[in-house]
Amino acid sequence: MPDAASSEPEVVQPTSASDDVLRVEHISKRFGPVTALRDVSLHLRKGEVLGLLGDNGTGKSTLIKILSGFQKQDGGEMFLHGEPYMPKGVDDARSKGIDTVYQDLALIDELSVYHNLFLRRELVHKPLPFLANREMKLQARKALDEIGINIPRIDVAVARLSGGQRQAIAVARTVNGDADIILLDEPLAAMGAKEGSMILDLVARLKAEGKVSIVMILHNYVHVLQACDRVSMIQEGVIALDKPTAETSVEELTDIVVNEYRRAREEVHAADAAQ
Amino acid sequence: MATETAESPPASPGAGKGDAAHKRGISLRGDDGVLTRVLALREGSIIVVTLVVAIYFALNTSSFFTSANFKTLLPYFAPFAILGAGEVFVMILGEIDLSIGGTYLLAPYLFYKLSATVGLPLVPAVIVALIACMAVGLINGFFTAIVGISSFVVTLGMLFALEGLTLVISHGQQVETPGAQVHATTREATHVVNGVHIHLPEQVNHISTFAKIFGAGIYSELIWALVIVIVLQVVLTFTRWGLHTVAVGSNKLGAGEAGVHVKLVMIRNFVLCATAGGLVGILEAVRSASVQADTAGANEILFYGISAAVIGGTLLAGGSGTVVGALIGALFLGILKDGLVLQGVNANYLLLYLGLAIILAMTINVYVQRVRRGNH
Repeated sequence: MPDAASSEPEVVQPTSASDDVLRVEHISKRFGPVTALRDVSLHLRKGEVLGLLGDNGTGKSTLIKILSGFQKQDGGEMFLHGEPYMPKGVDDARSKGIDTVYQDLALIDELSVYHNLFLRRELVHKPLPFLANREMKLQARKALDEIGINIPRIDVAVARLSGGQRQAIAVARTVNGDADIILLDEPLAAMGAKEGSMILDLVARLKAEGKVSIVMILHNYVHVLQACDRVSMIQEGVIALDKPTAETSVEELTDIVVNEYRRAREEVHAADAAQ
Repeated sequence: MATETAESPPASPGAGKGDAAHKRGISLRGDDGVLTRVLALREGSIIVVTLVVAIYFALNTSSFFTSANFKTLLPYFAPFAILGAGEVFVMILGEIDLSIGGTYLLAPYLFYKLSATVGLPLVPAVIVALIACMAVGLINGFFTAIVGISSFVVTLGMLFALEGLTLVISHGQQVETPGAQVHATTREATHVVNGVHIHLPEQVNHISTFAKIFGAGIYSELIWALVIVIVLQVVLTFTRWGLHTVAVGSNKLGAGEAGVHVKLVMIRNFVLCATAGGLVGILEAVRSASVQADTAGANEILFYGISAAVIGGTLLAGGSGTVVGALIGALFLGILKDGLVLQGVNANYLLLYLGLAIILAMTINVYVQRVRRGNH
């Protein structure tokens, strides 16, 4: 590690390939005095599952929100299938094939499973404005069966479902919406081992189908190595590591984080000593 | 609305209603009795309480259960049902609209000015007055959804401002409602009494068709209320507008992330609610044939409108509510007030008893709900 510049992690610029579905170059984002993202570059290949790592407050969720059109970056560019990608909003991003499963799930507790699955894409009896509930139920059941999610009743309110089922429905909603790039923000948060496996299985099935590319924020390194093709680690608003999971290990990933923690602590000690 | 009822078996395409009812832990078996079915409705407990109150007055007063009294009852509840229906759409969002008292007061004066001063025909004058109310809703929605001020504060300010504006443009003067005057003519009527033909002059009152439609007809307010309640309940249950309203009220951030146009939904519902206030103001002005700058009366009516929605089962916290419930809530208030009057309650005690009765009935309502849950 270069000592002089050790106060900030080294910036890794991933090399992009011609078949990248999504490229992100030098994205930065500030919230008032806080710099959430300093200089982030990412790339995603077709059918790839990219794990996004980083401690709390390193800007992972901000990056996801920028990719999904919920927020605008201050600087940097994004490219989708080689074309400049400047989403005007969530709808716009979705129409371009990028859809997001947020940490807070964006599920509506009061609404049924199938209404949630179709939220903002509801079917109506055209030309009448009435909801085509029967049709939505049929399609919802089919979609859930296809990606192998077992929800006994799809006309119950989602408030009655478990965390894993809710997450699965949130994932199903994005897949159902014909997205070809899915962003998953901590899909395993607050989930038991069994439910977590259910979601990882779902990701594995989607990967096997090869139609969608996935960016997934995870905290558990074992899960990352198990589920992802490649891993990018964000530290202090920059990408500090970008490697295929086959070339890294839990130890290496842990080391990076621990080293950063130590470095930060030494700085504090040095500052204290200087006083 | 067959899907209103929540007892439909799982296989049938029940609407969102059944889901919500199910969420509250109600067993939806097909072999349940009528009472259980009624109780399974979101409005179920208030229906039961309203029936109990009606039966009480029917047993204790001789005149409650008469068609004459039914006609007396109508103006006691139809206006509040319309106000409550609009308010439900705002309250499901977790917001509140106090400005309906203001549009209630202002709209008839605008109608009067447009008709008597500007010279617009009656119906266009009504339409323009209602468009002004929509603009009020637009402003409420703008400050709530886009500026981000609490709707309570925005609409309270709007309530005072509109009441003040009404006093300014009316100079506090009472005026005759255009198109609502009763013209009396006399005609010779022939009666046969004991085989003798008697000719007598009789007075016949004529009300214009406009007035008959806009509130002065005996059943006109009731018809307005029923049509508005049915249409809005259908909108709430069976359209994307309704679905998105529930979505925003249940999880505003989540709905936004899912792509629901949160601000648009909010503004639209504020426009609807303010317009309902203006419409009721005009209906009441035509019914009474006079436009009054009675701010205290407007505030009272505002509270009845909100009460109808709350009593009908719409949560102040948002996310849940029904328009039909507001109708029944208004009916409950109307029956209570009318019944107390029929019982000959001293005028000074009327409000006291009304207040206590509301609290008592709502306490019973809570217990009925518990029984409902306990049912299982």
